[in-house]
Amino acid sequence: MSIAHRDYWRSLEELAESPGFAQLVEREAPRFRDMLGPLDRRNFLRLMAAAMALGGLSDCGPEAEPRQLLPYVEQPPGIVPGQARYYATATTRSGFATGVLIEHRMARPVKVEGNPDHPASLGAASAIMQASILELYDPRRAQTILGQGQIDSWEHLITALFDRREQLLARGGAGLRLLTGAVTSPSLRAQIALLQQQFPAMRWHQWEPLGRGNERIASERMLGRPLDRRFDLDNADIIFAIESDLISNVPGWLAYARQFAAHRRPDETGGKMSRIYAIESTPTLIGAKADHRLALGPADLAAAMRYLAAITGAGPQDWQQTPVADAAWLRAAADDLNQHKGRVLVHAGREQPVEIHLLADAINNALGAFGQTIRLIEPVAPSGSTDQSLEALVGDMTAGRVDTLVMLETNPVYDAPADLDFTAALNRVPLSVSLALYADETAMASTWLVPATQEYEAWGDARAFDGTITIQQPQVRRLYNGHSPHELLAVLHGNTLPIDYQLVRDFWQNETHQRGIGDFDRFWHEALRIGIVENSAAPTVTATPNASALTSLQAAEKPVPGVQLLFREDPLVGGGRDVNNPWLLETPRPFTRLTWDNAALIAPATAKRLGLGIGDVLEIADHGRKVRAPVFVLPGQAADCITLPLGFGHTAGGLGADIGFDAYRLRTSAAPWITRGATLSRTGETYRLATVQGHDRVAGRDLVREGTLTEYQDNPDFLRRPETDQSLYPEYKYPRYAWAMAIDLNSCIGCQSCVVACQAENNIPTVGKDMVLQERIMHWLRIDRYYHGPVDNPAVAFEPVPCMHCEQAPCEVVCPVHATVHDHDGLNLMVYNRCIGTRFCSNNCPYKVRRFNYFGFAERDDRPPESWNPEVTVRNRGVMEKCTYCIQRIRHAEIEADKQDRLVPDGAIQTACQQSCPTQAIIFGNRNDRDSGVARRKASLLDYTLLDELNTRPRTSYAALIRNPNPKIGDREA
Amino acid sequence: MTVLIDLPREAPVVGPGVTLRSLSEEVSNRVLLPNTPRWWWIGFALGMALLLTFVVQLIWLFINGVGIWGINIPVAWGFAIAEYVWWIALASGGTIVSALFFLTRSPWRSATNRIAETMLLSAAPCAGLLPIMHLGRQGLFYWLFPYSSVMGVWPQVRSPLWWDFVCLLCYILMSIMYYYTGLLPDLATVRDLARTRWKQVFYGVLALGWHGSARHWRNQQTVYAVMSAIMAPMVISVHSVVGLDFAGGITPGWHSTQFPPYFFFGAVISGTALIMMLTILVRWGYGLEDVLTGYHLNALAKVMLVGSVMLGYAYVWEAWGPIYGSDVAERTQFFYRIFGFYAACYWGKIVLNIVIPQLLWLPIVRRSEVLLFSISAGIIVGMWLERFVIVIPSLSHGYMPSYWGVFFPTFWDWAALAGTIGLFLSLFFLLLKLVPIVSMSEVREIVAKERSR
Repeated sequence: MSIAHRDYWRSLEELAESPGFAQLVEREAPRFRDMLGPLDRRNFLRLMAAAMALGGLSDCGPEAEPRQLLPYVEQPPGIVPGQARYYATATTRSGFATGVLIEHRMARPVKVEGNPDHPASLGAASAIMQASILELYDPRRAQTILGQGQIDSWEHLITALFDRREQLLARGGAGLRLLTGAVTSPSLRAQIALLQQQFPAMRWHQWEPLGRGNERIASERMLGRPLDRRFDLDNADIIFAIESDLISNVPGWLAYARQFAAHRRPDETGGKMSRIYAIESTPTLIGAKADHRLALGPADLAAAMRYLAAITGAGPQDWQQTPVADAAWLRAAADDLNQHKGRVLVHAGREQPVEIHLLADAINNALGAFGQTIRLIEPVAPSGSTDQSLEALVGDMTAGRVDTLVMLETNPVYDAPADLDFTAALNRVPLSVSLALYADETAMASTWLVPATQEYEAWGDARAFDGTITIQQPQVRRLYNGHSPHELLAVLHGNTLPIDYQLVRDFWQNETHQRGIGDFDRFWHEALRIGIVENSAAPTVTATPNASALTSLQAAEKPVPGVQLLFREDPLVGGGRDVNNPWLLETPRPFTRLTWDNAALIAPATAKRLGLGIGDVLEIADHGRKVRAPVFVLPGQAADCITLPLGFGHTAGGLGADIGFDAYRLRTSAAPWITRGATLSRTGETYRLATVQGHDRVAGRDLVREGTLTEYQDNPDFLRRPETDQSLYPEYKYPRYAWAMAIDLNSCIGCQSCVVACQAENNIPTVGKDMVLQERIMHWLRIDRYYHGPVDNPAVAFEPVPCMHCEQAPCEVVCPVHATVHDHDGLNLMVYNRCIGTRFCSNNCPYKVRRFNYFGFAERDDRPPESWNPEVTVRNRGVMEKCTYCIQRIRHAEIEADKQDRLVPDGAIQTACQQSCPTQAIIFGNRNDRDSGVARRKASLLDYTLLDELNTRPRTSYAALIRNPNPKIGDREA
Repeated sequence: MTVLIDLPREAPVVGPGVTLRSLSEEVSNRVLLPNTPRWWWIGFALGMALLLTFVVQLIWLFINGVGIWGINIPVAWGFAIAEYVWWIALASGGTIVSALFFLTRSPWRSATNRIAETMLLSAAPCAGLLPIMHLGRQGLFYWLFPYSSVMGVWPQVRSPLWWDFVCLLCYILMSIMYYYTGLLPDLATVRDLARTRWKQVFYGVLALGWHGSARHWRNQQTVYAVMSAIMAPMVISVHSVVGLDFAGGITPGWHSTQFPPYFFFGAVISGTALIMMLTILVRWGYGLEDVLTGYHLNALAKVMLVGSVMLGYAYVWEAWGPIYGSDVAERTQFFYRIFGFYAACYWGKIVLNIVIPQLLWLPIVRRSEVLLFSISAGIIVGMWLERFVIVIPSLSHGYMPSYWGVFFPTFWDWAALAGTIGLFLSLFFLLLKLVPIVSMSEVREIVAKERSR
């Protein structure tokens, strides 16, 4: 009996210590694992007793912070049901901040808008910014601290770091390394500086896989020191773009895109237009907008630049003797540049080699661009010297000189150059801590994974492209036990209870004190309220360009036989940073219209020569490293160049794991952007790529009206067609409002911001690759991309297509149950509750803007319920849906106006697409108001509607595309 | 099965050995005698097996929604609508043979009209179910009824779909009544010949107390004639309205005034073809060679031939419009139809509906049951292809090239097709067992006339 009794107790203890039980606890209640500790009988009973005692106090969490539930009889101050509140903060990519305003509904952040006061946004918000709200809520984010792959606690981490800290202090920090991305945050830099004081032998390494190092080196050689540039496109009559990311990626591109577009609308600028020349190996957005474009491989591009430098007087005259293809084109372009001295900008993309950057700068210098179109500032994110590079770090790690490595939101295991073998080096580091948003490759290979806070969860600060500082404030209580970089660094400082708010605020208190700002509270509140620290932009500096910098150039490289690989950033997932975001994965890439994958982009001529078609799987090998990638044939790609978009093919992390192929595996530190040669072999396999556009050309339809500036100046209404607008019936009158939209094809750069903005605002579900392949994508707004001209270098037109809101809507008459009807303001409404799903409306929509919930896509969408926009109905299975012109915003403004007994003023309603658009291509308003922006746009002689021969009388109209070709070049495709 | 039917120039409508008594017994015995032929069981089992597919398909459809099919945007209508039109055309063909040729007093119609009507009654539920299955929210189909809802919302009377709904509803109800009116005297005959009690009661109740008085005959004949006079134009209008489902849209490939007659022509040929197949089946299975003679097959073959020629005319028309017209979208659409992804379907329908039926010009072909059966089967498939070509390629190549797309049928698309065929076969074989498959009362008239000649 007594023996059995003892056995009974022992087996329970055994049960409690068994791995199975531990796993159960980990799975069911990860946060309590460490509370269990080594479980003996006493502890077990203690815990049981505590559980009994605490049973009635279930909301008393371990945090000291008090929590309260407030009944609505006493409404929380400032929260009005149905009213949105906005809080300013910033989102950063590669360290650079863009100001945002986050819309809160009932105290929940639901939508990201650009901050109009922030210089990098001016109110616009890119696709990545729009999608960041989904990242905040992403349930796939890292949620628990892992130590040696086991679930662990923050306290244990602190203990471990403190133990190590003692040893490090003793040896002055030798063996301690910090690895970060580009850091612009003043407070974080101050923390790092403090760390370096405490540990003089510590070294800080910075690694940006898609950094702008070539630009910086060129700057050093040309200007004597690394300086950042700001561009003033208002002064640029001619932009010469060398695979430029000026309006697609460069820090501050949203602002540049706005400036750019302002000079591309001849109907608004009195017939004046800038002129764009583009030479590039792979299509860019600015190349699509260019008036003249050449598709050149790297060697031809370098030759062309030398030729151009010679003609513009920037380089030695004998460079003119080297024969180049397209010499007439280049000569005409150079003449044009020479004629516009001081009003030109030559801009090379970051992927270009140092040589091209030097040539571009030399031409800029020769043509007087510095000081006119280019302003110089001290670097916003100064990078360290070469011994602070990743290469140096890997060398030290391999040599065993590193015993403590702290990595802040960086993923070198995934994106480090393939020749470095970071993983092997990391395995030699006894203690590595990775602060990561997702359980990514680096985090899984480190000894500690610390979940990072998403940017909207923590306090911080960051600088924009022009140096402007934003203090980031959290928008919501931390959802998933994350920790901010400030907190992790503070632990290294010796702080056991780091609180991000304290750290950032203390820094700014100190900073304001030093700057002599007396009233800190006022400063703090104001900075948080408007989202920027006023007057924090970096001052312009001057540097004398070194006119002889070109003399250091070596002889031109010989063209490489065979194909070359170009490593390029995928336009929507960053370098892999945003690959876990379903919105960004499902947003079609501007040129390929590809979703849910990356592909090796190859020119039509090369594909033909190699006998490749879309979806054929290639094995690409370079220096013994191999990658298998599906082929996508891309018109406008330079011959013999294969573009490999970076950022896919993760093996760990969130949703993005196992999507696409990983081009980093071919990328080396010696050739980060362009390889010299590679071998291709066909695997014979095919892969289904989910593209969304059926056909690339307008097929004889009048969908994109296009002309030249000269034609427009000669006869401004040259694109008008005879009026077909006739009806037997009396016209319906819209006495109060006639909501309408105008889209300017000249301004649209195809960046896809509006697509994601629409998705975020209108609760549009993602459908996944299989459903995209079945052509069931749900985007209400799409940007059609049409080509015309030769397939090797076609002209490109981007055309955003939302619902046309036809006054004589074909969809309405065919619905048997009145589920889609017109309202008194001329909106074409969709009554979800009445829809029975005959889908005739979609068949009868000539514009194909209607989307059908073939499945319960919204129910399947893996996002927490609180992340949906409560203003917009989440649609059921079996229901048709489409663009509503953001009717929730319209009705809200109408009610507000009615309360004040007046009409809605112009500009009071911005549709989500309009609001996010960096170039203001989309404008919405009341057509009845003759002074409204939309009425003015519609009065333009370039205004036209799609398929007007059908007499549907769309409320959405377009401004025809005007290009400004150089008459000396003649045919655009020369 | 005889391969070649003896068909003299002046073939008799009924065989020489047929008497009034032998006719009644021969036809009624099929219903009354307990021994069911093996081919019936095979046909019925096939029907039930496919019906089971249909039930599984329906359950899966209601659980998951129409997403289980291959439809998408731009091709939002797929098999369900193509097959709906296909079935309604087959059903309409039955009405055309039965009602139109009743009005023209064609003597060959008397023996085949019951087959035609039974076919119509078996096909109509397939046609009726598909549009409901195809709805995104099937449970709400009743919103098409003009009832006074609490929201004060009525159906949209401008929508061709609503016209379609109204027409189809009237047509199915009318067809049942028409069938029943013609069936009354025969039900009474079966009742009188029935030996078992429950059969006497069953057919007695159905016969509504018919005892063949002059007044009964006069009333029945009057009502039947009036109903025929209504049914004949009605079937034309029903099928025209089905055509308007497409013509009423502005989609390239649909937006054409030719659709109402085009669809009517299709109904003539496809309906006749199915009647032909079923007549040959019944004739062979029940050994009714004396009642369903070569005369009937010859007449049906000629109707098929006329239908084929009319349809050929419509196809020329279909091509002429886009080629001669100035609409780019229509023209692109047409060339896509004949050379694009679905070109095989287009050329298939041309061969099966137009080219092969031209063989019917040859009397020898019209005398071969095998050839007639094969050509008819070809036409049924060809008509299915025609419906497919109308619905799917038109949607797949619309006005916006950026939104061109293709439709691939999924397993469940095929399951729906097989399922409706199962429903049809099950119903047809069931009715074959329950009702006299040849109208005895009408054939008796013919026999009597032959006698008196």
